[in-house]
Amino acid sequence: MIEKLFLTLATLALLHAAYSTYEHLSLLKALGKPEGSLPLDIVYESILALILGLLGASLNAPPLKDITWASEMKKRTIDGMDSRLGFAHYKSRGKFLFASPHDGKI
Amino acid sequence: MSLQSALERLATYRANNTRASQDIFRNGLLVLQKSGFKKLGDDAWISLEQLALASIDVGRLDIADQCLQLIADNFPNSPRVDCLIGIRMEATEPPETALKYYADILEADSANVAIWKRRISVLRRTGKVEKALNELVQFVDTFYTDVEGWLELADIYASCNQYDHSFQALSHVLLLTPQNPFYVLQAAETAYTSEDFPLAIKMFLTVVDMTDADDSEQLLQESTPLGITVRAWFGVKLCARRIAQNANLKSSSNTSAPKNLGLLDELAAERLRVAYSSSGQKGEIAKGRQEVFAWVATPLA
Repeated sequence: MIEKLFLTLATLALLHAAYSTYEHLSLLKALGKPEGSLPLDIVYESILALILGLLGASLNAPPLKDITWASEMKKRTIDGMDSRLGFAHYKSRGKFLFASPHDGKI
Repeated sequence: MSLQSALERLATYRANNTRASQDIFRNGLLVLQKSGFKKLGDDAWISLEQLALASIDVGRLDIADQCLQLIADNFPNSPRVDCLIGIRMEATEPPETALKYYADILEADSANVAIWKRRISVLRRTGKVEKALNELVQFVDTFYTDVEGWLELADIYASCNQYDHSFQALSHVLLLTPQNPFYVLQAAETAYTSEDFPLAIKMFLTVVDMTDADDSEQLLQESTPLGITVRAWFGVKLCARRIAQNANLKSSSNTSAPKNLGLLDELAAERLRVAYSSSGQKGEIAKGRQEVFAWVATPLA
């Protein structure tokens, strides 16, 4: 929950800093001094957005998975390993076992 | 049961190769009715194929025909679609029709893996086991890396009680997938059935090594064996008992018997006791615990 909050705040802060920079530059252009430096608070806002964004992205990552074969094999079953689906028989009793009881014909 | 969870279950079944046809049918039908397949993009076709096969298994040929129609419309001349049509034919037509269909396709393209497998499956199902066996041997000669083929060969041999040949087929499987403890377990049990106890006990211990080797600092005494590890420990105990009963036994693979048989037996007994002592879900005691404890306590030889 808090990760998404961080990410949203970081995005908003960055967008706000970008818009402020644009406004400041248009102000400088209107005043006739296009080489003026950026005010410090916009810089601080961008750095804050960076830190918040990093925190949010790291916390928002999906849970880590094991990389060993043994841990993967713990999740499998004998039926899955021995299924041999290429050779499976499709004419089975399943047709009779799973037919709906109101079908009438067996 | 939401669309998302149904799609996830279908994907898990595909990844694990399980044949849970009823569950796949239930979930797949939900997705089909909510037209969820369009959202998947490329994955939609394999999901439809999965649903078609599950419907044939469960006997709902109407849904199967619907899925097949969708797939066939999109992929006109695909060999994979030919295989699906063949499977659909197998479900209702007599086997000779299906065999003739497969023979026609194999004449045009004799290296079609899926169709060849279906042909061997139909031959086995209709009782022509020897013919199926010959074709399967030709198949694994041609396609050595096909694990399914070797496993099917092992199964056919085992069903005819030729456990040595079954073991040979399984040894090829072990070469192809050395990281898989399930096939080592199958090989160990096949060796036990063909009375090669020293080899069997070695392979059971290999299974334990593969599945229970923990890198963490947890001591062996504190970890509980789960899953196929328990089956492997049962195998170790059985083999130890048979080796102890028969002092001069000859192993057909010339494997020597293990040296500390008594210690192995004790270890297997202790591991089985731990496995059956741990409380399962809701704190209940494992079924059969008393029987296991009694059996495990009987002395060697």
